[in-house]
Amino acid sequence: MGKGQPSYTDEEFVAAIRHGDDRALAQLYRLHFPMISHYVLQNSGTDDEAKDVYQEGVMVFYEKVRDGSLELSCQIKTYLYAVCRRLWLKRLTEKTRFGGRLDDHEPFLETGAEADLELAEERDRRFATMAEALDRIGEPCRSLLEGFYLLDKSMQQLTAEFGYTNADNAKNQKYKCLVRLKKLFFNHYQEEEHY
Amino acid sequence: MKTESDYYALFDAYRSGELAAPQRADLEHRLATDPGFARRLQDYEELTGTLSAYGRRLATRRKLHAIQAEMDAEAAVRITPEVAQESFATSTAPRPLLRISRTEEKLRTFWHGHRATMMVAASVAVLAVFATLLGLEMYRAAQNSSGSLYGYTVLRREVERIKRNQRAMNRTLSQVDGNAKPEIINPGKFSGTGFALTADGYLVTSYHVIQGADSLLIESRDRQRYRAEPVFTDVAHDLAILHIKDKDFKGFGRLPYSFKRGQSDLGEKVYTLGYPREDLVFNDGSLSARSGFEGDTGFYQISIPVNPGNSGGPLLDDRGNLIGIISGRQMDVQSAAFATKSSYLMKLVDSLSAAGAGQAYNLPRANQLAGTSRPQQIRKLRDYVFVVKVYE
Repeated sequence: MGKGQPSYTDEEFVAAIRHGDDRALAQLYRLHFPMISHYVLQNSGTDDEAKDVYQEGVMVFYEKVRDGSLELSCQIKTYLYAVCRRLWLKRLTEKTRFGGRLDDHEPFLETGAEADLELAEERDRRFATMAEALDRIGEPCRSLLEGFYLLDKSMQQLTAEFGYTNADNAKNQKYKCLVRLKKLFFNHYQEEEHY
Repeated sequence: MKTESDYYALFDAYRSGELAAPQRADLEHRLATDPGFARRLQDYEELTGTLSAYGRRLATRRKLHAIQAEMDAEAAVRITPEVAQESFATSTAPRPLLRISRTEEKLRTFWHGHRATMMVAASVAVLAVFATLLGLEMYRAAQNSSGSLYGYTVLRREVERIKRNQRAMNRTLSQVDGNAKPEIINPGKFSGTGFALTADGYLVTSYHVIQGADSLLIESRDRQRYRAEPVFTDVAHDLAILHIKDKDFKGFGRLPYSFKRGQSDLGEKVYTLGYPREDLVFNDGSLSARSGFEGDTGFYQISIPVNPGNSGGPLLDDRGNLIGIISGRQMDVQSAAFATKSSYLMKLVDSLSAAGAGQAYNLPRANQLAGTSRPQQIRKLRDYVFVVKVYE
C-alpha cells in the first residue's frame, strides 16, 4: 500500500466514499482484506470464500455509506469484522458442516452491524426478485430496461441501438416494459412476503 | 382512457420535472384526492427505485471485483517476480494473473493454518537435537577427563601432566651436571601398577588402566622392560590379565605370595605397593567394608590413601595373602578406596583354565611371607610389582 496514495482516517474514508471516491473505496478494501482473509482461512474457509464474504461485507458498508444512513459507533475495521463474521457464520451454517464455535481473534463488539445486515438481507431478497423478474420478462424489454437502469445509457443511445424511429417510441416501449415488469415483480414479491 | 404505460410516461415526466405547471398542479391534485392513483405512483417509484438500486449494486460489485482482481494480480507478481520478469524479457505478453496449481494452493492453505504449530515443533526439534548432542558431548567429556562417575575415580595416572614437570627437572639437572645426557624415553600416556600372577609371565592389573591401550609396557623396579598384551579383561570387576611376550623373558622366579580364595574379615590389616610416582610406594590401612562403591559386592572398601597410579596394585594382608587388586576411590568420602576381591580373580583364572585357552595357569601355592616382618615381606615382594605403561 502506501505508494504515494493519501491515507485516510475513518471519518475521511466515510466522507470520501459518500462522495463517490473510488480510490478511497479501493484503499479501504485493501486495508482490511488481510484481516478478513485470515479470519475466514482460520475458520476452515478457502481463499475464494474469503474474497466473497469480504466483498459482501464491503458492499453492505458501501451501500450504507452511499445512503447516508450509516451510524458508525466503532471503527470501520470492527464494523467490517462484525459484518463479515456474521456472513461467514451464515455460510458455514448453510454448508451444514459447522458444528462449533468460531475462532475469534478480534473482540466482537455490538456494532449495530447485525441490524444493518438484516436490512441488507431484505434488500438482497428484493434484488433477487428483481433479477428473476428481469429474467422472465423476455426480449427486447430486458435489454431495454437493463440498458436504461442498470448500465446508465441514455434514451438516445438506446433508440439507436434498438432501431426505434425516435426517442419517443423508445420511451413508450420502455413504459410498456415497466408495466410488465411491475406485474412480474410485485406478484412475485408480494407472494413471497405472504408466506 | 389512459393505459398504465401512459401513466408511467406521466410519472416519469413529473419526476424529472418536465411537466408544465398546470398539468403538474392537476396531477398533484389528483394524487391528493385519489388514493388508488397515489398508490400507482408509489408502485412506480418503488419499481424504478429498486431497478436503479439494483443497477448501482451491480456497478459496485463490478468495482469491488476489479479491486480484488487488481490485488490478486499484484500478489501474483509479488510472489513470482522472476517469472514475471522472464516473461517480459522474452517479450511474450505479460500475464496479469499467474495461476497457481491446485496442490500448491492446498499446501498454501495448510501452511497458513498450521504455520505457528509447525514453527513451534521445528524449534522444539532443533532444541532437542542440540541439547542431546551437547549432553552427550558433556557426558563423554566427563567420562574421559577424570574417569569419574558419581564421585568414583579410577586411579590410573596421566603421565603427560607429570612429564612436563619432569622435563623441567631434567633441564635443571643437565645444567648442573653439564655433560650428562638426559635419557630420552617415551613415558607413555597413562600408567598404573601390575603384579605377577604366575611365574611364567602372567600379570594382573586393573581393566581401566589398559582401557583403550594400543600397546603396553611392563617395567620392573630395576628398569627392566617387557612388552605385554592383554589376555583377558573383565570390565565388571575391573580386572585385566596380561601376558609378557618378549622372547628373552625368563620368568619371574617363585612368587612369594599366594592368592586368597575366600573373603577376608573386617578390620584386617592390609597394605599395598604401587607406582603412583616413579618409585615404589608403600601404603597401609585396614579393610573397612566388605562391599565396594554403592554396595558392589565384588569389591572391598579399604582405608588406604591411594593415588592415581596405584590402580592394579596388589592388596595383601598381614600373612602375605593377596586379597585384592586396587581399583579406585570415592572422591566425596575421606580415604575410601576400593579393591577388587581376589576371589573374583581366582574365579576368572579358574574359568580360563577350564576353558583351556592358552597355557595353564600355575598359581603359586606356598606362601613365603607368613610370619615375617613387614619390611622383610616388602623386600621379597617388590620384585613382583611392576609399572604398567599404556600407549594410546
